[in-house]
Amino acid sequence: MAGIYVHIPFCKSKCSYCDFASFPDKIGFAESYMACVYREISKRAKELENYNFETLYIGGGTPSVIDESLIAMLIAAVKKHLRLSGNAEITIEMNPGTVSASKIETYLKCGVNRFSVGLQTAIDSQLADLGRIHNLKEFLLSAKLLKGRNFSVDVMIGLKGQTEEDVIKTIDTACEAGAKHISMYALTPEDGTPIYTDYLNGELPDGDETAALYDAGVKRLKELGFGRYEVSNFCKKGYESRHNLNYWRRGEYIGFGVAASSCIKDVRFTNTYDLDEYFKCILSDNFAVKSVDKIEGQDIEDEFIMLALRTARGICLEEYTSLFKRDFLEKYSEQLKKTEKYLETDGGFVRIREEYLFVQNGVIIEFLGQ
Amino acid sequence: MKNKSNIRNFCIIAHIDHGKSTLADRLMERTGQVSERDMEAQLLDSMDIERERGITIKLTPVRMFYKAKDGEEYEFNLIDTPGHVDFTYEVSRSLAACEGAILIVDASQGVEAQTLANVYLAIENNLEVLPVINKIDLPSARPDEVKKEIEEVIGLDASAAPLISAKEGLGIDDVLEAITTAFPPPGGDESARLKALIFDSYYDNYKGVILFVRIKDGAVKAGDRIKTFRSDKIYEVVETGVFAPNLTPRNGLSAGDVGYIAASIKSIQDVAVGDTVINADDPAPEPLPGYKAVQSVVFCGIYPLDGSRFNDLKDAILKLQLNDASLIFEPDSSVALGFGFRCGFLGLLHMEIIQERIEREFGLEIITTAPSVSYKVIKTDGEEIFVDNPSHLPPVSEIEHMEEPIVKADIYSPPDYLGQIMDLCREKRGVFLQMTYLDKSRVCLEYNLPLNEIIFDFFDAIKSRTRGYASFDYELIGYERSKLVKLDILLNGDVCDALSMIVHEDSAYTRGRILCENLKEAIPRQLFEVPVQAAIGGKIIARETVKAVRKDVLAKCYGGDITRKKKLLEKQKEGKKRMRQIGNVEVPSEVFMQILKTNKD
Repeated sequence: MAGIYVHIPFCKSKCSYCDFASFPDKIGFAESYMACVYREISKRAKELENYNFETLYIGGGTPSVIDESLIAMLIAAVKKHLRLSGNAEITIEMNPGTVSASKIETYLKCGVNRFSVGLQTAIDSQLADLGRIHNLKEFLLSAKLLKGRNFSVDVMIGLKGQTEEDVIKTIDTACEAGAKHISMYALTPEDGTPIYTDYLNGELPDGDETAALYDAGVKRLKELGFGRYEVSNFCKKGYESRHNLNYWRRGEYIGFGVAASSCIKDVRFTNTYDLDEYFKCILSDNFAVKSVDKIEGQDIEDEFIMLALRTARGICLEEYTSLFKRDFLEKYSEQLKKTEKYLETDGGFVRIREEYLFVQNGVIIEFLGQ
Repeated sequence: MKNKSNIRNFCIIAHIDHGKSTLADRLMERTGQVSERDMEAQLLDSMDIERERGITIKLTPVRMFYKAKDGEEYEFNLIDTPGHVDFTYEVSRSLAACEGAILIVDASQGVEAQTLANVYLAIENNLEVLPVINKIDLPSARPDEVKKEIEEVIGLDASAAPLISAKEGLGIDDVLEAITTAFPPPGGDESARLKALIFDSYYDNYKGVILFVRIKDGAVKAGDRIKTFRSDKIYEVVETGVFAPNLTPRNGLSAGDVGYIAASIKSIQDVAVGDTVINADDPAPEPLPGYKAVQSVVFCGIYPLDGSRFNDLKDAILKLQLNDASLIFEPDSSVALGFGFRCGFLGLLHMEIIQERIEREFGLEIITTAPSVSYKVIKTDGEEIFVDNPSHLPPVSEIEHMEEPIVKADIYSPPDYLGQIMDLCREKRGVFLQMTYLDKSRVCLEYNLPLNEIIFDFFDAIKSRTRGYASFDYELIGYERSKLVKLDILLNGDVCDALSMIVHEDSAYTRGRILCENLKEAIPRQLFEVPVQAAIGGKIIARETVKAVRKDVLAKCYGGDITRKKKLLEKQKEGKKRMRQIGNVEVPSEVFMQILKTNKD
């Protein structure tokens, strides 16, 4: 299985927690940028001719902020240069305040079949703190346009002043709006972002408080029929994100655009984060790869384990054997013994017990570098 | 043959900061030993640590020539002395190599405890003492009062004491001149059988051990076969020479000379300081007096922070021991810390210096356990053993009683701080002996104190409670019966041997509580709740809890970029290497040191 990721690095404005490649002041370059992305796709056509791609994920930034015709052309370019399977999952990220009925219609027309909406919280004051451009009302308007569609909602935990009631209200809002999938993330204050100041001043919930909020969210999601299939991803039955599952199963994927990451044949490479440099590279008929990392030997195994243990499914023992030509339970018997309290093994899978998913790093590192 | 009557062998005695190294530098400069330009601020203290701390650990003798007013040229041999109470024995051997001692007294601070101790040592060794009053350029200088103090406190005639400023170069000529008149020339019989006092040594990679000697009787030259009185090993002398101040070969040393002998000696342990060098073919029947075997006072465990570097640590300690016969060690192992060494030191400063040198000169990160003293354990079967490692203590049922080492401490202070000092000594289980008013501004308090109370923070405490005015000196006087208990720390129910300590029953509860509080802060949260308990013989006396961690995961793999997550895990994994496993609890190595450092009152 293989996937395609396209990064759209434009937003109306930057959120206070954001440290991704996103350039609100460069939105005027969207057309030129997309032209470069089409060119980058065509340049990869030859080496990827034998790949059958099952998913396309258009992320950002805010992909819905640029003209929808550019998205249509993007999907056309993908289909022209790469083999995208007929029933491929095509996801686009969008933020309330940048969506219209005609946009969604265009997306649907060119094959988009899954939407990911950034709500984060249903509390307007918290949205303002995060520097989001929308309020709850605007989310509800956007969601209404997606009624009956396959869409996901992003929810954020660990916000300033956030209570368990706030979390539950946010989840209820997403559920009532018809979300089939909810990604519930813990805010990670990054150095250099405006919210980092709040963190330094102790204004954000600490690890324990965040964990408590998260637990409340998980409980509510279960009550509403959302199953947890990865540490921070929940969905109604059959609505898992195939694109993300591919990451966690250590599948191959190709990324296009600024800061996009790829993993092809055990080589991980990432494009430059610098928009100007990206333009320069592509326009001079080069790739824009900034870093290349060939994954070999034990590192492959480490990645496989680390990613698989994020999921509720866990490590598939059969898959492990076919990949690494040995028995997982045998090789890691010592580590399994040491961490047995946190694991469960059944039906050919080894997984972290759900109550420990949120503290999984301490378990995972036992298995690395063996 | 040169004229022995023109040789003067002497040392300088001074309290820390009273200007010993500065005066030595001035004397060398004035006699043309070194030009001012070549001086790398204070020549004598040549180790980095010495220069930083302003103390002398390793001795560096130096030879100078001085043309006196009487027209004669004199040879001066200045033998430096270590400036700390830990090295009293080394000081006494240096003094034994001299006929005279310059006593530097700070013109504003007056006589200090440490000065006194060394002056008495000098007098015991029959040295002539020449008082010199330094820092007279300071506005706070009170030379007349200090002179009076010297006469009253020490009983030395200070009326002719040179008034100098070593820093400014004032009065240096007076000192040089006084050396020729105040100190006698060396005695000894050149034609007698060889007797040379070893007052220091160091290991040279090419020449082997270099012995620093004072020839008391007889003569020695290259080709002679020598041995020391306390070892049967015989060596052939390869080279003899003097300190100018670098080693300068000179064929033959004879009675009265200060110099060095190189004889391809492999191990510094075979040639102890204080031992007597004799001629192997014509041995003197009696050694020089005053030899004492090295006695360790303070002990601690030293472990590599990275357990795999045990062999590097071993090499480092062996190399340090080449130059430091007073460092003793034996391999040791701890459940918590793995393989390491149990080391014995002359005192706390000596311990700190060794720890610092291992880290600095060998680039090794180490974990040290709490310093301990050597306890005498009298077992129920009558056997007497010495235990310096708490984890080697026999079971309580086998102990009849225990004794701990006691020191006699002299504390000198202005009278204003008597209350604070007495409180501190009481807290430290001190027994008051007597109090003497030296003059209006200076009191000497004498206490008997358990050594294990001093090795923690006594020195810092006394300095802080007296705003640095008090000074303190101690000597070991013996063992006394005491109510001692082993305080264990349990992490999640398992005893952590590296954190065990032997304490007095009365302070066990407080110590235990503080340790638990400190550990609670220092131990990172684990996947499960970790009780931290202090216990005496199985009875829990204090408890804290390290709560279980609730969140350690980065929530999102953005657009398939898993490098961040990988880096985070790698970092965590790397951190794990620095962790020690105690039962199922992981404890960062740093914890063991933090615990020692945050030892509150």
